[in-house]
Amino acid sequence: MRWLVASFLLALLSVVHARSFNSSRLLVVTEEITEKDKYSTFWGDLESRGFSLSFASPKSPDLSLFKHGALAYDHLLLLPSKSKGLGPNLTPNMLVNYINANGNILLALSADQPTPSAISSLLLELDIFLPPDRNALVVDHFNFDKASAAEKHDVLLLTSPKPLRNGLRNYFEVDGSIAVPRAVGQVLGNASPLLAPILRAPSTAYSYNPKDEAEAVEELFATGSQLSLISAFQARNSARFTVLGSAEMLENKWFDAKVKSQSGVEGATANRAFAEKLSAWTFQELGVLKVGRVEHYLNEDLPKGTANSSEVGFLDLNPKIYRIKNDVHFSIEISEYVFTHLVPFTPPPTDELQLEFSMLSPFHRIPLVPTSQTANSTVFTATLTLPDQHGIFNFIVNYKRPFMTNIYEKRTVTVRHFAHDEWPRSFAISAAWPWIAGIGVVVAGWVAFVAVWLWSAPAEDGLRKRN
Amino acid sequence: MRLPYTLAVAALSFSSACLAASWSFDDATLTVSSKGSGGDGGVKEKLSPNSPSSKAITLPAVDTLKIVLTATEGSTGKRPHQAFLTLHEPTTGLEESFPFSLKENGNGKVEVTQKDLPYQLLTSKSPLKASLVLASFGSSTPYASHAFDLTLQLDTTAPPTAPTAPERYTSKPVINHIFKVQETSGPRVISFFFTIAVLAMLPVLFGAWALLGANVDHLGKAFGSAPIAHGLFLGSVLAMEGVFFMYYTSWNLFQMLPVAGVVGTVAYISGSRALTEVQERRMAGER
Repeated sequence: MRWLVASFLLALLSVVHARSFNSSRLLVVTEEITEKDKYSTFWGDLESRGFSLSFASPKSPDLSLFKHGALAYDHLLLLPSKSKGLGPNLTPNMLVNYINANGNILLALSADQPTPSAISSLLLELDIFLPPDRNALVVDHFNFDKASAAEKHDVLLLTSPKPLRNGLRNYFEVDGSIAVPRAVGQVLGNASPLLAPILRAPSTAYSYNPKDEAEAVEELFATGSQLSLISAFQARNSARFTVLGSAEMLENKWFDAKVKSQSGVEGATANRAFAEKLSAWTFQELGVLKVGRVEHYLNEDLPKGTANSSEVGFLDLNPKIYRIKNDVHFSIEISEYVFTHLVPFTPPPTDELQLEFSMLSPFHRIPLVPTSQTANSTVFTATLTLPDQHGIFNFIVNYKRPFMTNIYEKRTVTVRHFAHDEWPRSFAISAAWPWIAGIGVVVAGWVAFVAVWLWSAPAEDGLRKRN
Repeated sequence: MRLPYTLAVAALSFSSACLAASWSFDDATLTVSSKGSGGDGGVKEKLSPNSPSSKAITLPAVDTLKIVLTATEGSTGKRPHQAFLTLHEPTTGLEESFPFSLKENGNGKVEVTQKDLPYQLLTSKSPLKASLVLASFGSSTPYASHAFDLTLQLDTTAPPTAPTAPERYTSKPVINHIFKVQETSGPRVISFFFTIAVLAMLPVLFGAWALLGANVDHLGKAFGSAPIAHGLFLGSVLAMEGVFFMYYTSWNLFQMLPVAGVVGTVAYISGSRALTEVQERRMAGER
């Protein structure tokens, strides 16, 4: 009987064990299930990286992103649909809730199908503008694939994207050219720091409506590098939403197509490698930072009075209270997750991690320098002298960059003023010496007076006679 | 015999026409004029497709830059799908394109004023590079070439309003807290001088007392009659000063008070006995 119970428990344990590791559930929403075969190489790549794929149509009645209040799927991939919206289960409101619950979304658009207005309004909430004409296509008469689009010029041939600006890391670099067939261009609003373009159109590209503007384009939506073909939005909780302007670039036939550039150079596309990088970034396999230990301690010799009881761990780690003008040592351990494992994190070349010591506004903002590395993390440290203001302060590491998860670590400490016995003694203050000498003179005079009064004989006659 | 020959000629010319087709433009004129003058004043310049204009064009604040041209494919005037005037800012790499409005035969114009330019191009430190882009679908070679340099004369009385700087995630400026000035004592020499001056008062005091006739002549007599009392009393006075000194340097109140109590008790008891002895001497008329 006992072995029955034991085997039952073991089976239960293995089921629980398997389910806890299976946290990469990816839902692909595509209107026609037959269309998914066009992307079979891409599904194979995703599954080989450990994602478990499910396919559903937006019209299916039991499609739900949430189950019992938690996410039913960790990632969502939306392929272009012909209908007016994405169905009652994928309203823009639900997609926003999905992102707020830490779900990642990869939304693919296509110029072959008009973009549903629900999608346009969802993107407008994120400050991403789509062309107001539902039919919009990006063409470039200078950078197109001669092999497949010699007449229509709607297959763009682009080089690998460069880092956005100085100090950012480029997660999307590939060898070779990227083919972007029939893309919908987006324009990103300037105000939001959460938006970043992953792939921008070259300077001679422009977006037009093939139905109405077939002869000449008079009113431009956007041109050149203002057109973002692939845009990235990272929410403040580090959930990622990527808008892919061309769903067709993920198809099997573009993964290793032979393309010919304008100047006649032939080659194979790097779409497969680019799709891997793009999906890895969106589904939290690249650009993910994890914080390990955060430690701070007093970096001074201990005062004579305190006793050290134990030998190991003599440091009082992460004390709750410091004194003004203490020297404090702060360290934070950060790793970067790359596909399957954690590696030590190195910030991009001109960028640096910063430590803020702030009450309501920072009193110190100093760089955190990498001092040591463990097997899968880098330890960044900084030493600082606490300000001469007492109060409640916070050690804040606030590292937010495009394409990297947001790090915000806050540790609160009290900073007290000098205690009554921590001030410098008066004999150490040179200006006090005359006063101390005065006290000494008074003491000596007093003792002498006592002695004279007790043991003196009356004074000489001459003086007495005057009285 | 003739038919295949003509066919061959036709085929050859057709293919050569196809191969030779490339976009370009003819009769291009650039004018900078203000609204009222109607093109008489201002700059007028001819543009050539093969080489950029050597003259630097300036666009004042209220004037309009107008380019009129006829786009050609091969040798015939034709309207390309894309006919842009692109203004490129060299330092930041930002650019903006303005489309031509062309008729079917390729004739048309574009007009640009300072109002149409975004803030980043208006406030460029170096001249903008203007290029003409003519391209369309099909296999004709597209045309894109730098045409002229454009400098903007801003209206000094009404400078362009800068848009609010957008928030971007980047490293922020370093802040190092500036500590309040530490209190310092004055120069040590002055402290030394006054310390010496104060200490020198002690012998002056003793000298003054000596002049007034102070003495300890009865020391032997007092110690002879009540040695323990006088000894203990003087000792306890000195010990009390010692207690105060220890309290000043290292002891705290709870260490000092018991000792002071003991010393005080000794001083009281021995002192009353010593005062009795002094009274005896006073009674004997020696004081």
